[in-house]
Formats: sequence, structure tokens, C-alpha cells
Amino acid sequence: MTDVQQSRIAAGAMTADTAFRVRMRRLFGVLQGMASNPATVIGLVIIALMLVMAIFAPWLLEPNSPDPYQMPRDWGAVRKPPGTPGHPLGTTNEGGDVLYGVIWGSRTSLQLSLMVVGSTMIVGTIVGSIAGLVGGWVDEVLMRLVDVFLSIPELIFALAIAAVLGPSFGNIILALAVVLWVKYARIMRAQVLQIKQHDFVDAARVIGDSKLNIYLRDILPNAVTPVTVQATLDMGNVVLIGATLSFIGLSEAGIAEWGVLVSEGQAGIASGRWWASTFPGLMIFLWALAFNLVGDGLRDALDPRTEGR
Amino acid sequence: MRAAVAPQADDLILSVREVKKHYPIREGALQRVVGHVRAVDGVSFDIRRGETVGLVGESGCGKTTLGRVIAALADPTDGGVHYSMDGEMRRIDRLEGKAAQTFRRNCQMVFQDSFASLNPRHLVIDLVGRPLKVYNEAASADLVERVVELLEQVGLGRQHLFRYPHQFSGGQRQRISIARALALNPEIIVLDEPTSALDVSVQAQILNLLNDLQKERNLAYLFVTHDLSVVRHMADRLVVMYLGKVAEAGETQAIFDSPHHPYTRELMAAKPDLEAEANVEIRGLEGTVPDPARPPQGCRFHTRCELATSACGWEIDDIVRWLEDAPGMFEHLVGVERTSEFAAELAFDNEEAAGLLSMAVRSEQVPEAMRAAMRRLNLDGTKVEIEFEDVGEVELTVRDDGRMAACVLTPEEVASWKNS
Ligand SMILES: Nc1ncnc2c1ncn2[C@@H]1O[C@H](COP(=O)(O)OP(=O)(O)OP(=O)(O)O)[C@@H](O)[C@H]1O
Ligand code: SF4
Ligand SMILES: [Mg+2]
Repeated sequence: MTDVQQSRIAAGAMTADTAFRVRMRRLFGVLQGMASNPATVIGLVIIALMLVMAIFAPWLLEPNSPDPYQMPRDWGAVRKPPGTPGHPLGTTNEGGDVLYGVIWGSRTSLQLSLMVVGSTMIVGTIVGSIAGLVGGWVDEVLMRLVDVFLSIPELIFALAIAAVLGPSFGNIILALAVVLWVKYARIMRAQVLQIKQHDFVDAARVIGDSKLNIYLRDILPNAVTPVTVQATLDMGNVVLIGATLSFIGLSEAGIAEWGVLVSEGQAGIASGRWWASTFPGLMIFLWALAFNLVGDGLRDALDPRTEGR
Repeated sequence: MRAAVAPQADDLILSVREVKKHYPIREGALQRVVGHVRAVDGVSFDIRRGETVGLVGESGCGKTTLGRVIAALADPTDGGVHYSMDGEMRRIDRLEGKAAQTFRRNCQMVFQDSFASLNPRHLVIDLVGRPLKVYNEAASADLVERVVELLEQVGLGRQHLFRYPHQFSGGQRQRISIARALALNPEIIVLDEPTSALDVSVQAQILNLLNDLQKERNLAYLFVTHDLSVVRHMADRLVVMYLGKVAEAGETQAIFDSPHHPYTRELMAAKPDLEAEANVEIRGLEGTVPDPARPPQGCRFHTRCELATSACGWEIDDIVRWLEDAPGMFEHLVGVERTSEFAAELAFDNEEAAGLLSMAVRSEQVPEAMRAAMRRLNLDGTKVEIEFEDVGEVELTVRDDGRMAACVLTPEEVASWKNS
């Protein structure tokens, strides 16, 4: 390799580096925008704590064996109030440690929300993009389908599907995924139709770039904002709906899942044993609240009218 | 003013032939097509190497639509754009593979809105370097050097590589667009009102830049604008459009010296010079532009032309339009039964209104030319029968001096009116 070639490669790497830094600065600008909103910061802090809890669960509390997602049973210590040694948040009717449920429940919630939001976002984005790009009868058929889905209230629709599939945590994930993808399809289609009109798409056609490249470089990156905001909001909503389904018994008994714990603990509230439902309930509330706060903050920070100006 | 260069036949780059672009108008739940907007309705002209053709006309006359058809962003409804390739003229919408690519590279476009035409998420290096990447002309360090070269040609530099479009002024953004258009070293650039969103002083800078680039690279421009004073300094030849058709075409200097079409004359009178004070109120042309979905018969300009003669295509629509502003008659009009665009029976709900109309159309209240064009006027109780001379479309024809105009009047007649 000659010196010239080498120096050119070095210069190329430097360019990539500069471009990367400029892009990072822009991302940083968005984060800064979010950081200037106290509500968003509160949401971010809660989410961070939840994530820490979920990630470090095995180190915080020894996993139950054989299945760590099942509540441990300590028949020698049933219905203990908070403050009991070894059970700081008390125990359930079956001697399950409420703290264990709270901590390992964050993992369950994370799994639920990531799987549902991840799959619905991908499916919805693809369907919405196809509808917006292809148009014609394809668009017509897909959007009719979306309209049918959207005409049924989310909770009732998910409930019906989960009920048909039978009570299990996996079926709750499936039910939510089936119900929620349509929102992304609709958002994405509207974005594609709007962005398609922009002169910069025509500018890309004039230089002769391929349709795929135009989609990937011009349309998709400009459509991600509302999709990201919706995904963030859904990270919270999914856990809320999931918990509701668990609460009415569509999940599995005995698993470390906040909705199930609230459901199993509610009978004791009348007899003064508030802790078995209250702590997991609080977690559901905080989780949903946090993602909603961050979703709203993200919407403001990514607003094209303010972004980067 | 620019010296007109005598074009050589083999200098032809593009030939626009009878191009039409009609947009369907859809209505109702079933989206049935109820008519067509005739945005471009049969336009022909040529563009030669190194020249600037100015495409001018009021807002909505179809300039952008035609520019997009020429840049192959839209397919014509009828007619075609032919591109000179290996000594042959080939229709651009029928090119494939390598040939399509050759055309694509050689015909670029700069849009009016510099902000909308640059992807807000791309850095300047991505924007200007993109054409080079598409054709694998340069990568990594080479690409940077090529982009810097292009930026320098448009008066920007290395320091601008890693900025986003919103970090520039409107004039600078338009320079970025121009650099992008230059990247593939095209033969022709369609400039769609490239300066109309800019301040007057910035406008002049961009125009100078375009002129310099043209000289250096022997570029051809199709310069689209509604501003005659701008093309006066840019264009070798002009194509003046009105409602989707060419009203007049010829060398810029000659047209400015003596317009052969009343519309061109009006346009020139309506616009202040570029040198004139900024902020002067720009006087628009009088009258409203007719609906391009129902263009007027005969000469499309006859509804607004002060010189209109009886041969200019007076029709029932003109009576109806006149009636709309005639109190005491329009509210009594209950039906218009047409046998053609030129003949109809107008029914009123009382005899008085019908009588008023038949009197009015005989009087000074309507243009003399309209009266002269009336073949029949018959009052029958509450009905008025009107028939105008059936006139075909006024075509674009060659005048004695070799220029083209679509007007029934001779250049001398248009000129004498100008002096009176
Ligand atoms: N995509 C479209 N669908 C329907 N009608 C259209 C479309 N694009 C343009 N038109 C119509 O075609 C006519 C010509 O529009 P065009 O944009 O070409 O005019 P223009 O001369 O460029 O005007 P301006 O000076 O305002 O840019 C207008 O009546 C416009 O409303
Ligand atoms: S043909 Fe000439 S005179 Fe007649 S209306 Fe048209 S422009 Fe005016
Ligand atoms: Mg236009």
C-alpha cells in the first residue's frame, strides 16, 4: 500500500469520525431538550431505577429455583406484614416474598413490554410503509383491516384474544401484539404519505437513487419521530393492559408478575393485608407513569419545529 | 442583456414535443374522475447546449408541472420529451437501463424551496456527496475532496461539510442544492424558481453564480420563474406560458423589445425591474386566471385581454361570468342549456331579467368584441338564446420575424396598441 493510499484511508476514517461526532451532538441536543423538562427527568430516573432493578435482580435477590419467574413459597411465613425480618415488604397468602415479586416483576414487565412493543413496531412499520409506498388497492385493503382493528377498544380486544387462547403469560404477550401493531401501521402510513411529497424525495429521484435507498435514507429516518414517541408511550401502556389482563386471571397463577400479585393480594385488603397488592400496584403505576412522562418529553424534544434550531 | 448565440442543430439537448400533463379531479366517496386539470396542455420547445431557456408565466400556469415532466419526475399524459443521445432523439419516458441512467445523470433539477429540497437529517457531505455515491464515483477521502471541490465552486467550503441544512441561510442552502446538481456534471439543469424565495441582494448573487457556472461548464438551463425581470438577465430565449399553453416564444431581447402577445406585454408592464427599488408594490395582472380544468375557448387569454377581437373565442362561459357580477339578473337565472360551448339558452324566472340581459349584451356594458362575436341573440319571454361564432383554438404560429406567438393579431397590431 502506498503512502498516498494510506493517508487517504486515514482521511476517510477521520471524515467518518467527524460526521459521527456531529450526529452525536445532535442526539445530545435532543437529550438536552429532554433534560430541561423536570417531568421528563423524573420519568427517566424512574425508568433507570426499574432497569437497574430488572438487570440486577439475580444479585439483589437469590433467584427462586427451578424457575426464578415463579414466586418463592415460604409456608412458614404466610401473611407477614412489611418489616418482617427477611421479608421487608411482607409476604402473600402463600408465603411469597412481596419484595421478590416487586423486583423480579420488573423483569417480567420488561420482557412483556419489549416483546410487544418490539414486534408491533416492526410489523406496524412494515405494513404502514407498504400501504403508503405502494398505494392503490394494497393500501385500501391494509387500511380497511387497520380500521377494523382500531374500531375495537384495545383492552376488550386483547381480553377477547387472551381469553380465547387460554390463560398464560405468553398468550398475553401474543394478544397485545395482535392488538397493538395497527397503531404503528397507521402512524407510519401517514408519515410515508406526507414525507413522500417532500421535495427532498424528488431531489433523490433526480439524482437517480434507488427506491429502496430513498425509503431507507429519506423516508424512514424522517418518520421515526412519531413512531419512537408511540413506542415509548406503549412501553408503559402495555404493562398497564398486561396487568389488567393478569388481574382478571388471564395470566398464570403464582408467577412474579405485578398484575398477578395485585390480583392475588386483593382479597386480603379487606382484612387489612394491604401490602400484597399495594407494592406491586405502585410498581405498575410508576412504570406506566414514567414511560408516559418520557414519551411526552420525547415528543416535545423531537418536535421538528424546535429540533436543532 | 446576453448576446444570443446562433444554435447549431447538433447542439440540441432536449426537445419538448406537444407535452400534456392532465391531473384527474376526483370527487365523492367513490373518487370518480369528474374532470381534469389541464396543467400543461400541449407545449413544444427545444433546449440547446449551453443556453438558458426562460419559462415564464403567472402562478398556476403549469411551469413547475412542465419542469417536472422534463426532469422525468412525472410522466406526460400525452406527447413527450426527447433527449439527444448518440445523435438520436429518444423519448425519456421510454429509456431503460444504461440509457435511462445517462439521461438521469445529465438532467438535474434545483427546487424553489431550498429547505424542503434538502433532507433535514443529512449533513452537507451526505447531501452533495450522494449523487457521487449513487454512481460509485467516489468513496471515503475521494468523496470528501470531490464534495469540497463542488462546495468551493458554489462559494462554500470545507468548513461547511459537517453542517445540517438548517444551519445555513436560504441563499447558502440554494448553493448546496446547486452543488448537488453539479456533482454529476450534467448537461442541463431545470431551475424551478431558484431565487424567488430569496432576498433581492442574495437573488443577484445566486443568479451571478449560475451565470458563471454556465460559462465554465457549458451548461444549459431551463429557468422557471414568474418574474420576467429575473429571466431578462438570465435567458437567451423565453417561453411564455399561459394556462398550460405557450403564448409566445422567442429570443429574450426581441421579446422585451416588442412583445408579440398581449399577455407578454401585460406581464412586462406588471413587473418592476430588478434594479428598481425593493419593496415596491408589485402590480399583478388584472382579472382572475380561469380554471385550468375548463380553459376558455379560442384564445385562453381572451377573458382578460384588452385587445381581444371578435375572433378570440367568446363563449357562453363569458356571459355567465359576466352575469355573476350583474345584480338584478344573476339571482333570477334558473338554467343554462348549452348546445355547445358557443351556444346556449339562458332561462330566467321572470321576463324582466331576461329582457335586461338581452339589452345589456347589446350595449356598452359588455366588451365590444364580445358583441361583435355574437351571431344570434333572441329574446323569447323568460328565455334568452345566445350564439357566438364557433372559433377553434388560437394556435402558436410563426410570425414574419421568425418568432412564435399564439394571437390572432399581427405583431404590428399588438405594438400599435402598446404605443397608444
Ligand atoms: N399533483 C397535482 N394534482 C392536481 N393538480 C395539480 C397538481 N400539481 C399541480 N396541479 C395544478 O396544475 C396547475 C399548474 O400547477 P403548477 O404548479 O405547474 O403551476 P406553476 O406555474 O408552477 O405555478 P407557481 O408559480 O405557483 O409555482 C395548477 O392549477 C395546479 O393547481
Ligand atoms: S388572440 Fe390575441 S387579441 Fe385575441 S384574446 Fe388572445 S391575446 Fe388577445
Ligand atoms: Mg411552480
